[in-house]
Amino acid sequence: MDPIFLMNNVWIIICFTLVLLMQGGFILLEAGSTRMKNAGHIAGKTIFTVGAASLVFWAVGYGFIYGESIGIVGFSDFFYGDFTSVVDGLAGSVDFIFQLAFAAIALTIAFGGFAERGKLSAYVVFAILFSAVVYPVVAHWIWGDGWLGGLGKQDFAGSTVVHLTGAMAALAATIILKPRIGKYNKDGSANDLAGHNQVYTALGVLILWVGWFGFNGGSTLEVDGAFFGYVALTTQLAAAAGAVAAMFIVWAISGKADIPTTLNGALAGLVAITASTAFVAPWAAVIIGLVAGFIVYFSMKFFDKAKIDDPIFALSVHGMAGIWGTLSTGFFATPELAAMNGGLPGLLYGGGLTQLGVQTLGVVASGLYAFIASFIILKIMDKVMGGIRVTEEEEIIGLDLSEHGSYGYPESMPEEKKQGA
Amino acid sequence: MENYQQLKEWRDQKIKSVSWDHHELNKFHDKLMRRTVQIALKEVESEWGSPPTHFAFFVMGSAGRSEQSVWSDQDHGIVYDGENPLFHDYFLKVGQEITKGFAVTGYEKCDGNVMASNPYWCKSTIEWEKQILAWLDEADWESLRYFSTFFDARVLVGKEDLLQRVKQVAFLKLAEVPSLYQRLYENVGFIKKGLGIFGQLLPKEKGEDAGNINIKQTILFPYVNALRLLALLEKIPESSTLKRFQRLPEEYASIKKYQTDFLKLLNYRLYFQKETVNYEKVHLLHVKSMSANEKESLKELIKNGRKLFKETKKMIDQRCLR
Repeated sequence: MDPIFLMNNVWIIICFTLVLLMQGGFILLEAGSTRMKNAGHIAGKTIFTVGAASLVFWAVGYGFIYGESIGIVGFSDFFYGDFTSVVDGLAGSVDFIFQLAFAAIALTIAFGGFAERGKLSAYVVFAILFSAVVYPVVAHWIWGDGWLGGLGKQDFAGSTVVHLTGAMAALAATIILKPRIGKYNKDGSANDLAGHNQVYTALGVLILWVGWFGFNGGSTLEVDGAFFGYVALTTQLAAAAGAVAAMFIVWAISGKADIPTTLNGALAGLVAITASTAFVAPWAAVIIGLVAGFIVYFSMKFFDKAKIDDPIFALSVHGMAGIWGTLSTGFFATPELAAMNGGLPGLLYGGGLTQLGVQTLGVVASGLYAFIASFIILKIMDKVMGGIRVTEEEEIIGLDLSEHGSYGYPESMPEEKKQGA
Repeated sequence: MENYQQLKEWRDQKIKSVSWDHHELNKFHDKLMRRTVQIALKEVESEWGSPPTHFAFFVMGSAGRSEQSVWSDQDHGIVYDGENPLFHDYFLKVGQEITKGFAVTGYEKCDGNVMASNPYWCKSTIEWEKQILAWLDEADWESLRYFSTFFDARVLVGKEDLLQRVKQVAFLKLAEVPSLYQRLYENVGFIKKGLGIFGQLLPKEKGEDAGNINIKQTILFPYVNALRLLALLEKIPESSTLKRFQRLPEEYASIKKYQTDFLKLLNYRLYFQKETVNYEKVHLLHVKSMSANEKESLKELIKNGRKLFKETKKMIDQRCLR
């Protein structure tokens, strides 16, 4: 066997495990950012949704994305199970499993918008519909044989495909679900429903950060030329700049070096560089990360003011930073890297507005599709299922108990204490 | 005979007319508190007889410093002459009755239980002297907080010299161990941030009080704490910050210039808070409803408070080195 072929496949399987491990990062990030009474639910449902996303991706998702294009989607290779084919220099199964991990990440991001108030049954149904109808369409447009890919849209590892798509579904969900009980006061001011464990959140961010080297690094799809090293470099720089910028801006404006904002800054840097990692110079990666860190702070404030309750900041971290990251190649893509990885150089390299235009079109079209499709699906679910939000009483006792029958922290909950006494 | 409820009604009628002037307001508070204490004393006398010895009922905190706002909570204690368990029982009863009366006449009970109804704050002169020395010997966070609280005490009813005797013990101890001055400023050295790096005001961001600045913690405390430290240094027994300013010797000209700021701050607070309906909200200043000029002058007061505290620390350091 050709050693490079073998190395490519081993590399991508390693990257698959890294991307799958990012779910562990999300578990800690989300559980830490929410309250104790929902911790078991938030953590456990992620395992369930990875399961659901995997099954749907196997049945139809992969086929809709990478099957023979019939325009809006692909339409072949359903119920994937091939050990002979070779795709993009990889064993088909290796390519499949790597892509599956991305689909699962997009779904987990989308569920950020459900946090602390979505019914479990709504998670089940939306997991299926999002993985079958929402994500594959955008992925097909950009990564399959779709029209945005055809226009030379640059989205190396998925700022748009994975992060923006997930975030737009989360936005639809937060709008339909409405704010959590206690988030806003009568006079319109917002309360801080602080997460119960910043240590979990920080550790979650670090796990995501490490996983990102599989996410971005693996998107090279090969080891030849060891370009993944360069991708790792720009990824690391942007994450670092995001963390530094966010802590600085929140300290400068509010006087407090807020931890959740800092953590979101690192993630925003990672989300932003996801599209541009293979297209930009290291100095540009730093700028992309810095801007992402600033954006995430203002975005968090904006959504709070707009009365859109986003408990784990999915809209700011994955949505706003995803948009910025996608647009960033339109400014910063270098001629050499664009020639190597597709599309045109950016505005700053004399590429004119062409690539920026394509990137903007990609953001608008993908964002709109993901939002509208998710909104319609969730609205219909809301009607058919008699609501997708738990009752007030259930929300107050916590989703651990209402949806699963046991608390994530039984000793810390009043009811359980009484029983034990 | 007058009762607490009548005093409460009197307060409600009268307080608005004095709420715009710092001196008038504090004079009124003193009158109201004194009359409350008189009722309480009569109440205890009717059951337990006349006071068995000389005593002083003193107020602390903002009342002690004559810096009360429209609303304020209870901080008070009792010192009595002579050692006798019966005296203690008697004055504790007095303390309990006063606490009850104050709660009716508009002074919320103190969360930290710094009240004459608590045996910790109701003691004979000898016990108080021992307590002062114990606090200063221990010199940990909590005991120095208690000491600072106590040092702002002012006699409202009773024998003035009983309290002064106790305060003298503190002056002597501090002269013996000057490093305590440094411990005392470290103890109150945290100043809640009021301005950001762009010189912007930093109001609370979340919750029902979003948009408000806590005037007490952010702006007032540096002035109050600095002048208490200097009063200790210069053995000034007065408890009011303004009087402490006035009593500082001439060589403190660089400190005295902040007196006008402090007076301005007290009146400012009243100007913005006359509509406040309870104690919880009385320290909040709503930034958005202030004019540009008002904001600027507030920023100036915040900056000067920090400067004053810094200069005070420097003076203490120099004195301790000598």
